[in-house]
Amino acid sequence: MINRRHFLKATGLGAGGLALSPSFSHLFGQSTETGHPHRFIFIRKSNGNVPGTFSLPTFSEEEKRKDKEKEAFEADLDKHELPDWLKCLEAHKENMTILQGLSMKMAGGGHYSFSGCMGAYSAGRNVISGIKRRTIDFELAEMFPSPFGHVELSLAAGGGTVGYRTGIVSGFSAPAAHQRNYCYADPQTAYDELFKSVTNSKAVNTQNNLLDYLREKESRQLSKLNGSERGKISSHVESLASIRARNSKVLSLSGVIAKNLPAIDKIHANGGEDATLVEKQGAFTDVMLAALISGLTNLVTYTIDDLNTPIDTLPGNTGKVDLHRLGHSKDIKLRNIVKASHMAQIEKMVTKLKSVPEGNGSMFDNTTIIYMPETGAGHHGPDTEAPTIVMSGQNSKLDIAGRYLRLAPHATEGHKTLGNWYTTLLNAYGNPVAHYGDLDTDMTRKKLAQTGAIKRFLA
Amino acid sequence: MKLLPLFLTTCSLIAMASASPITIPAKVTDLLDNYCYDCHDEDTQKGDLRLDQLGSQTLEARLNLLNKLQEQVFFQEMPPKKKKRQPTENERAAILKWAGSELKKHKASRLEEKLKRSEYGNYIDHQKLFSGEYAKLPAFTHDRRWLISEFIFNDKINKLVNHEGVRTIDGTRQTVIGDNGVNLGTRFGGSSLRQSITNPFLLPAKIGVRYYDNTALTGGHLLTMISNARKIAGHITSETIMKAHYPAMHRIMEMELSQRETLRSRESFLEDHIPALLQDLFKKQHQDLLPTFTRAQIDKIEVLLDKKGQAAKLQDNLELIHGRYDAEDIKAIYRGLNEYSQDGVSYQEVVEKTEKDWFEHGINPKRIQSRVTLMMIISKHWDMDLIRKDVQKRNVTRPAFRPLPEPEMATVKAALKKHRKKGDTYLQVIAKCMADWEQSFLAEREKSDSGNAEALGNLIEELYLKILERKPTATESRDELALTQDYIANLDLQSGIAKLVETLILSSELVYRYEFGQGPADQDGRRMMSARDASYALAFALTDNSPDPELTAAAREGRLETREDYRREVKRMLARRDQFYIIQERVQKDGFNSSLTNTPIRKLRFFREFFGYPAAFNIFKDAPRFGNHANYLDARGRLIDEADMLVDHILQNDTMVFEELLSTEKFYTYHTGNNADMKASADRIKTIYDYFKKYDWENFTEEELYEHWPFINKMKMRGTVFRNFMKDEKRRKGWVRSFKSTMTSFAFRLGKGQKAAAPYNSFPQHYSHKGNASTRTGQQMRGVDVAKFFNVDHTHWDYPVTQPAQVPHRRGILTHPAWLIAHSLNLETDPVRRGKWVREKLLAGTIPDVPITVDAVVPEDHHRTLRMRLEEKTGENYCWKCHERMNPLGIAFEIYDDFGRFRLQERLEHPDNIIAPAPKERGLHIDGRPTYKTLPVNAKGHLRGTGDPALDGDITDALDLAQRLAQSSKVRQSIIRYTFRYFMGRNENLSDSKTLIEAEQAYLKNKGSFDAVIISLLTSDSFIYRKPAPLESHDQ
Repeated sequence: MINRRHFLKATGLGAGGLALSPSFSHLFGQSTETGHPHRFIFIRKSNGNVPGTFSLPTFSEEEKRKDKEKEAFEADLDKHELPDWLKCLEAHKENMTILQGLSMKMAGGGHYSFSGCMGAYSAGRNVISGIKRRTIDFELAEMFPSPFGHVELSLAAGGGTVGYRTGIVSGFSAPAAHQRNYCYADPQTAYDELFKSVTNSKAVNTQNNLLDYLREKESRQLSKLNGSERGKISSHVESLASIRARNSKVLSLSGVIAKNLPAIDKIHANGGEDATLVEKQGAFTDVMLAALISGLTNLVTYTIDDLNTPIDTLPGNTGKVDLHRLGHSKDIKLRNIVKASHMAQIEKMVTKLKSVPEGNGSMFDNTTIIYMPETGAGHHGPDTEAPTIVMSGQNSKLDIAGRYLRLAPHATEGHKTLGNWYTTLLNAYGNPVAHYGDLDTDMTRKKLAQTGAIKRFLA
Repeated sequence: MKLLPLFLTTCSLIAMASASPITIPAKVTDLLDNYCYDCHDEDTQKGDLRLDQLGSQTLEARLNLLNKLQEQVFFQEMPPKKKKRQPTENERAAILKWAGSELKKHKASRLEEKLKRSEYGNYIDHQKLFSGEYAKLPAFTHDRRWLISEFIFNDKINKLVNHEGVRTIDGTRQTVIGDNGVNLGTRFGGSSLRQSITNPFLLPAKIGVRYYDNTALTGGHLLTMISNARKIAGHITSETIMKAHYPAMHRIMEMELSQRETLRSRESFLEDHIPALLQDLFKKQHQDLLPTFTRAQIDKIEVLLDKKGQAAKLQDNLELIHGRYDAEDIKAIYRGLNEYSQDGVSYQEVVEKTEKDWFEHGINPKRIQSRVTLMMIISKHWDMDLIRKDVQKRNVTRPAFRPLPEPEMATVKAALKKHRKKGDTYLQVIAKCMADWEQSFLAEREKSDSGNAEALGNLIEELYLKILERKPTATESRDELALTQDYIANLDLQSGIAKLVETLILSSELVYRYEFGQGPADQDGRRMMSARDASYALAFALTDNSPDPELTAAAREGRLETREDYRREVKRMLARRDQFYIIQERVQKDGFNSSLTNTPIRKLRFFREFFGYPAAFNIFKDAPRFGNHANYLDARGRLIDEADMLVDHILQNDTMVFEELLSTEKFYTYHTGNNADMKASADRIKTIYDYFKKYDWENFTEEELYEHWPFINKMKMRGTVFRNFMKDEKRRKGWVRSFKSTMTSFAFRLGKGQKAAAPYNSFPQHYSHKGNASTRTGQQMRGVDVAKFFNVDHTHWDYPVTQPAQVPHRRGILTHPAWLIAHSLNLETDPVRRGKWVREKLLAGTIPDVPITVDAVVPEDHHRTLRMRLEEKTGENYCWKCHERMNPLGIAFEIYDDFGRFRLQERLEHPDNIIAPAPKERGLHIDGRPTYKTLPVNAKGHLRGTGDPALDGDITDALDLAQRLAQSSKVRQSIIRYTFRYFMGRNENLSDSKTLIEAEQAYLKNKGSFDAVIISLLTSDSFIYRKPAPLESHDQ
């Protein structure tokens, strides 16, 4: 697909002329079908995203006014500078969308939304019964199956005090209602688990022996059973066989995995208690990229921090302020330093994926990265806004790249919520669901239409 | 009658194109012609269906059509009831027999599977079940594996991970069943092992009987269990657990564990004392051997400035030091400060000495840099007096030197001498020593025989008993021994054992219940269950737990062989009151409710599922519609808890249970269930109010208030602590304020002559404070807004300390707000759903699925009531044939809104209809909602289907309806049918007729005892006897 930006370049039309107008890509009649799965990387971060920090420094007075008063408008990133914390992605501006004005009130607000921001519901205090539905990442993972299905990584502290977790722990996505996903809480664990078909063949063989043994043992029962009882056991046997087959498939990827195996510093061994924040971020990025490139997964959800993730080792954090205290302060400078460290990782992801050939282009052509806040526009919200960065490749089914997009403000006509955004993703990639996620109560009270995809975003 | 061409009325229709042959007997052809072709042939295709060309269709299309035909005829949807010409029972049976046989040829029939589902249970004719004409049929249940429920899974996991629930109940610490870690300290999920185990056996989120025997283990279950098995195996094979609970495992691992203990001891000793040890060993050489100290480079730390650029106030909140930085770092810093801070030593020198210690120790350079930076930040940004005092108070020091036992000391010293090289940090030396010792220990273990076949055999038996609650067979022992040896050869001993644990956890036996007949069959081919299977069947009927010791003993000792044996055990279990169960953890979590019962949990749970009121959790409500400033979430949790309490209360009384549930006028409203406690709390408030009301307390000065300190202290009035009253000027004003708030609140509750005050808190308090009343589990009682659901007028609420107590405009569970919310939409009531519930649950009726062509949405119109809009939408003939079974019942509940509040007027909630916005003022007595235009409620309906002309007829509202339903024998029988499904895990058949009749008789003869119903069911032939599952054609 020739994206909007190319079209604009070709026709010389400016942002003003095309503000809020529909995509013209359909006029070119190019097929978007590449035959490759689409990849998604969701990156969640804490403390919200302050909308003002996403504004472009070179906005015109009119654009500044609209941005400040939260009126809907669009601007072409190509014609503007990026804020300092985003500048490392300058070379990839044509793939970038700065998305302002989405609300996420239904996700609950407060210090955390837990799985709520991924499922467009209020997860309350993260009790199991508060997990209302399968989260968006799992929905998309199902549409683009892969051996590991869905991979979740997390630097979230997961506790009331500052610190890192290690090992495999509970995550913030959900494969189904009332079911919490698990995640890898340190890079070494992620490395050991994802690549063990190459790095620990004994463990893999033993696991396969276990499955083979169970399958054989359960199968022996079948000869004595009939009817629905037989069906129950044969279902179990078939499940064991499927998992075994999946493991074999992973094994068949060993060559590719070995070729793309990341180097992981020994500082990350045993949980990596001495690794700095930047080292952990970097190692997680390396592991994630290797998993994507090897084809082990097409969907990664990455909680890059929560309020208790230690940032004392972050360069520039001279006061060794923690994220919670930062949230209560007005230290925009440090907030931007934190975001800049995240962007550095995104830059690494984009650059690397652009370097891997796929089809007629690169892997990044079939990738979308979504950088989103867990709690709207600040430490305790408000959730009436949730500034988001989207990096999308050439073959994206969304027509939003290269734009600064501000949507209509919350609880007004035309306003779009997190539910609309997720519906857009699902519809764009083949799930025709009418609406995903809970409704916004303010919009409901005002009887404003709020279901369905954001049509403007669809290619 | 339409005539088909002659050649088509013979037995076979010739295949055309790609179709395969179908056989339609002549008799069936006639029937189709009589009853179906008028609407479904070449001239007319109602519903886009043709039935006259089955032979010419593709196989797939034909099978689909036959399935539809089979279902429509079986469920008596076709021919439509309005048609005068209806097939006789025999004719219907003939059509069904033919369609069924055609479908079975291709194993394509869906009806049988559908009929096994709980939502189709009512399709067995009610009249036939209770008439007695089928009472002679031999009752039984098929042999089966029954997948465990989420509750049974939780109990198994709790045992395997040694997670025990404990609560303080009515002042006594007790174990509870049903604590699954939801309420463990953190809300961040996953910090505890228990919370990290995912439950893949969740029952469907629906209202009605949820746990049936027709589910099989799937790949999804298995994937989750693989992940769970790993975590559980890790726990079971951990050192502490195997020592405490798995002696056979411990014996195998003993040598290795002992060696690890030694290594840990040595490592810990070295970490604490290596500087002194090396000094002692190397004497003058020691300093030369140390690595050359290089200081970390750190950025300059600026003084803290405020917004005006002036020096800011120094930090003084020590919680930030200890909660917001790495605990190990703070400990290390405090140790250095403690050790080196002395008179005459500057802070810089202290930092340098501390840093040198870390450097020599071998702490990671980046961590040293970070710590040193933090030390400088503390000195510049923090109140150092406070820090020094804190350092002194915590007194973090190097542990006192205690040498290891002499042989160990010799070993340690020898290793130090051997491995220390110039420039080594202490950690490098320690690492070399540890590696050396690990090697030599490994060599020792390899020579030993700890993992021999006999030891592994004992281990296998131990694990079988713990995990599968039985001993292994000889074959299993042999096979698992070989498997374990293979695991150990590939991994290591501990990991190999963990793999064996995983293997057992992943076997189907853990996740299925087994109910198989054993022994000689009777003349009907029925056999009783084995004693073991029976013990589990009885245990899981009443609880989520494996058989208790008495039941296990009865099974083992041959005392679970007869119907009387079953009766004895069921009665015993029903009578137990010594075990508390958590009803639902979410109810506990949402507002600190107790959510407890001491009757077997499955008894109460039946009514929870049957009525479905816990589903109120799942209905998203816009809290401001409940009332601005009202805490809807806490109120909802309390509401469901109090609904449980009401049901539990009725079950404990066990008299006229169904009638009470449907028509009681007494409810719990903001009460813990403990009448004595509630009275004491209310009395305390009254005592305080009565004491102060004679004073001008509203104008008390601080001094005047202080005069009443003895009384205030005696009554422990929250927020008013007077010990240092006259000295603590800063807090005095706060105390006076909270006193006046309290008294204002008490005056509001008692100032109009009320005899008792509801014991809610006068102002918000942290959950750690008890408040004016505590729950049975000793926590702060919350959720006073629950009274809003019941239309309580707080300005005149004479709080009933003894409950359940009369509440106006309520009758039975169907008028309880929890039930009403569970059967409502987000913003409106749902008469259709409510009516459907009554029809299906209480009148044994059936309602077809919504046709896919129907847009089942009531249109918006903010000038009309819901009833008006609903009647317009569903009044057409096509819709009414189903809706007539639901609407006239559901509309009776329109005297309640979608929060369950009683009303005479329906608010037309739309921005155009606002008369006044929600008041800003807060208060329990304030409605808190905007004022809208309204229209009068019309709740008149019609009851049809009890079979009793004295009860059927027009009804005025839900109160009238509830009264009639409570008197109906059909309603009683319908509830018994659901009870049957719940305890049997399947739908009833005609062969269960005698069981159902006897259960009803047991209820009636025992003054409406639900226990009697349970005993009757669990000692019936339907429960006791098993028969092998029928063969299906693919089995042959």
